Amino acid sequence: MSRFLISRRTLLRGAGVGLGLPWLEAMTPRARAAESPAPKRLCALYMPNGVHPGLWTPETEGPGFNLSPALEPLADLKSELMVLTNLWNAGSVGGDGHYVKISGFLTCTTVTKTLGVDVSCNGVSMDQVAARRVGAETPFPSLELAVAPVTTGVDRNVGYTRVYGSHVSWSGPTSPLAKEINPRSVFERLFRAAQPGGAASSGDKLLLDSVIDDARALRKTLGAQDRLRVDEYLSVVRGLEQRIERASRPERKAWRPRVPVDGARKPEGIPKEYAEHVKLMLDMIALAFETDSTRIATFMFQNEVSNQNFSFVEGVSSGHHTVSHHQKKEDNLRQYQLITRWHVEQYGALLRRLAAMKEGERSVLDSSMVLFGAGIRDGDRHDPHDLPLLVAGRAGGRLAVGQHLKYPKDTPLANLYVSMLDAFGTPVERFADSTGPLPGVLV
Amino acid sequence: MPWCGTAVRLPRYSSGLRRIVFILAACPAWAAPLDFPAARRMVEAHCGKCHTGRSAVGGFDASRLESPASLSLQPRKWQSAMNRLREGTMPPRNVPGPSLEDRDLLAAWIGGTLKAAACADGITPAPFLVRRLNRSEYSATLRDLLNIHINAGHALPAEGAGGEGFDNAAETLFLSPIHAEKFLEAAKLAVGYAMRDTRSRAVFMTAAPGQDLSDDDAARKILEAFVPQAFRRPVRPGEVEKFLGLYRGQRVKGGGFDDAVGFALQAVLISPSFLFRLEEANPAPEPRLADSHAMASRLSYFLWGSTPDKELITLAEAGKLQDDEVLGKQVARLLKDNKAIEFAERFVEQWLNTRELGRDIKPDGKLFPEYYNAEIQGAIKYEPVIFFQEILAQDLPLETFLDASFTISTDKLQRFYGLPPVKDLRQQPKRVDLPANSHRGGILGMAAVLAVSSYPHRTSPVLRGKWVLDALLGTPPPPPPPNVPELAENVHGAAPRTLRERLSEHRRNPVCAGCHERMDPIGFGLENYDVLGRWRTEDAGQPVDAVGVLPDGTRFAGPEELKRVLLARKGQFARNLASKMMGYALGRGLTMEDHCAIDAIMEQLEKDGYRAQSLVRGIVLSVPFRYQAGTRAGAPAARQGARAPAARQGARAPAAP
Repeated sequence: MSRFLISRRTLLRGAGVGLGLPWLEAMTPRARAAESPAPKRLCALYMPNGVHPGLWTPETEGPGFNLSPALEPLADLKSELMVLTNLWNAGSVGGDGHYVKISGFLTCTTVTKTLGVDVSCNGVSMDQVAARRVGAETPFPSLELAVAPVTTGVDRNVGYTRVYGSHVSWSGPTSPLAKEINPRSVFERLFRAAQPGGAASSGDKLLLDSVIDDARALRKTLGAQDRLRVDEYLSVVRGLEQRIERASRPERKAWRPRVPVDGARKPEGIPKEYAEHVKLMLDMIALAFETDSTRIATFMFQNEVSNQNFSFVEGVSSGHHTVSHHQKKEDNLRQYQLITRWHVEQYGALLRRLAAMKEGERSVLDSSMVLFGAGIRDGDRHDPHDLPLLVAGRAGGRLAVGQHLKYPKDTPLANLYVSMLDAFGTPVERFADSTGPLPGVLV
Repeated sequence: MPWCGTAVRLPRYSSGLRRIVFILAACPAWAAPLDFPAARRMVEAHCGKCHTGRSAVGGFDASRLESPASLSLQPRKWQSAMNRLREGTMPPRNVPGPSLEDRDLLAAWIGGTLKAAACADGITPAPFLVRRLNRSEYSATLRDLLNIHINAGHALPAEGAGGEGFDNAAETLFLSPIHAEKFLEAAKLAVGYAMRDTRSRAVFMTAAPGQDLSDDDAARKILEAFVPQAFRRPVRPGEVEKFLGLYRGQRVKGGGFDDAVGFALQAVLISPSFLFRLEEANPAPEPRLADSHAMASRLSYFLWGSTPDKELITLAEAGKLQDDEVLGKQVARLLKDNKAIEFAERFVEQWLNTRELGRDIKPDGKLFPEYYNAEIQGAIKYEPVIFFQEILAQDLPLETFLDASFTISTDKLQRFYGLPPVKDLRQQPKRVDLPANSHRGGILGMAAVLAVSSYPHRTSPVLRGKWVLDALLGTPPPPPPPNVPELAENVHGAAPRTLRERLSEHRRNPVCAGCHERMDPIGFGLENYDVLGRWRTEDAGQPVDAVGVLPDGTRFAGPEELKRVLLARKGQFARNLASKMMGYALGRGLTMEDHCAIDAIMEQLEKDGYRAQSLVRGIVLSVPFRYQAGTRAGAPAARQGARAPAARQGARAPAAP
């Protein structure tokens, strides 16, 4: 936080000493000057069901790589893009074809096989590793967005609860993070946080204090197992209380949005059309990054094993999961590719939106790192070898974008996360099964 | 009984296994169970090579199988063996293994034998797991507490499911940071709304300041009435005082009476005592009957998905909810109440997976525009739900689910199904008697079920067959092997024409055949229904061929004959339904001990002619539902064997050590 303070002083100095206090007062409730140093942002987009295996990987390597058919929609973004080949997720081998793949995608661990009683991802997802370190600097430590709620039920076919197929972000082994699927409600959260004091009433803190008292008193009457549950609640309530406390700090120290949030841009709610829904949710990520409401976001295009109907895409007549089991049939593969490309287009659209958000000389994309990937490569094989992975944005000049990096077969995906966390400014010694940073990723 | 396993008395093994969630393997419906010598031969033939002696792989020595009791030497290992057999992952795929049929038989024998051991000397209740209210329980609870008619929990994140597949399972009710924010907002929203509505105020603003009542006393009265209702138990010393303190604080700051009371109510509604279902721990080593207040909540959250009403609270205060007869009467009362729709909706939609209709599973809008009509969608959604509610409220036999002479319809749904109009039937779903040859009657003729087991653009005999095996019979087929090989190329290079021809390719491939021979025929029997469940006799210009032949040679044509096949297995259907409902009632995955209780319920159910309320009553009176675990692990609640009807086990309460 002190970084902002300095930058504001710098700004004032630059603007001349003649400026009086009234001007300062007038300005403060509004947006923070866009000239303060751009924070780094980290985003991960998850796509279910893998990709057409033959049309994903660019044929040539290095900076001058040729875009593959699947990546053509990113032609204008090639210089901002890094394609990674031959990474795999050893933790998600075996188990079943889907659940293990998705829930381990950002954790690089093997989830416990269960219908529910001992759900554990046995790790922490990389976005949450970052959120733990920088989450307190923004109103929201991270955002977990999606278009579909958690899938109902347990899959007795394979012996997993569908909870696993519905989460990529885990703040701890037994804490899959709930997702927001209503763009309007995300917007309202961002809007409120951008109001002076975070729009929290003085009463909110009293209410939360009262909960904390209740929970403390209650603990004494409970057995050890039950106490854990109440403690979980206690800790999320404390988190909210701290956030409100930070928001109500004296003006100079309080967080303020980097750009104002225009209340008139509030989305209506959940749109009927899937494509429109995806677009709105990605808009919310862009808005959250632009305003600096959070620096970390994950987004799931769908839950794993989703059979989302893509017949709105010209030439597609079937569901995603169905065509991903293409059995090498031409028509399935053709539709599979069209669906893959549609996802890549949405990724491109987000990148362009971030690139259009100017922060002084640079753009929000310049300070961001946007991962796109799936937990399996080929829907027919369900293998986590050579995962389809893209990273875009420069992370403030740390990422060596504009190239296709091809690694030795079965290089750990976790190594990519080690490098990304480093670029983000939250370096870790190790992450899950990492063996070191991924060469060539950082500048 | 279609369930496998021989009833033998085994020495009790460590209680650890009792706690493990236990998926009991049902026998394939068309095979006779194994006896011990046959099971041993199978184990020797298929496991012996690696799992023998001191160097047995994974420390699992399968050769020490001298009698069924040998399983108790390493029960966890055997349970894992059972699971892996069923999934087809053991014996490993690269060695020749038993047939699918044999796998199921052996798995069922292991499961049955382990269960017999667990049931041998009484049923131990699993500990009650603290859980927060889920989203729908939260909304319904606020609705009933404040008499408001808004969905206060609409902004809460949706929940996943655990255990038997329901979103009320304690184990999967996680908390994320966003919940703190959302609970706070929802409490403000609900209280704000309630304060402005006179009908709501009449319910919770139980006192008003006046000549004889100071503001402070009025607030106290309101809180004294509200807090125990919200916490679903008598208040503890100092609790009301604390919330009164919040009220006073607001008044000191200049707040009005309503605002200050509302503030205190908000605090009540975000307290863990409201948001969590908590029960006071049982300090004794032996299990005990849950106290009356706990029972009031267990009952009302089971059958209403909401907080206990006045009558339940009154009975709880009088300590009467430990009495079998009172509980039986309450079950009947709760099921007749409109609020039972909550149970029907939550249970049915998750049991049948119809909740996903319109979510992950959406019929293609271009091909099936008829689905995209709000009235039709509503009618389709509520048909199985209200059907279920009707069966329970009228105490009809459980086979009504499979075959009924009525359904729940609306004017639009009648037309959609091609049924004649019914006088006075409009948009409101109502019970409608079906004419002869209506092709309806029972779950299998309902649009919601038929759509949720179809692809968006076409029907799938595979998905429908799998759906029947899983949802109705409780025998989900194992997953397809990883890296499903390519289907054999057609020799002449010409693509097969019909779906049936394409699927017969499946069944020619030995890797696929085992399961598809079970799934596909059932699905074929339903081919007369299109993606939306409308009757058809032609598909893409070809006449529909709805003949199915099961692995045992049973042949049927069309849904009516398929129904007969399923009705012949009504015991298996009922047991599967009982397990699902038990999982829902307990809000957790089932343990082996719970299956012992289900055995007892099934016996009673058979005597009662499979009446629906007998099932619900059996669950409510069972040891797992009405007891609290003690501190001594594995202590059974009732001394007699698992064979005794659950009702009578309960009658022996409180359990004497």
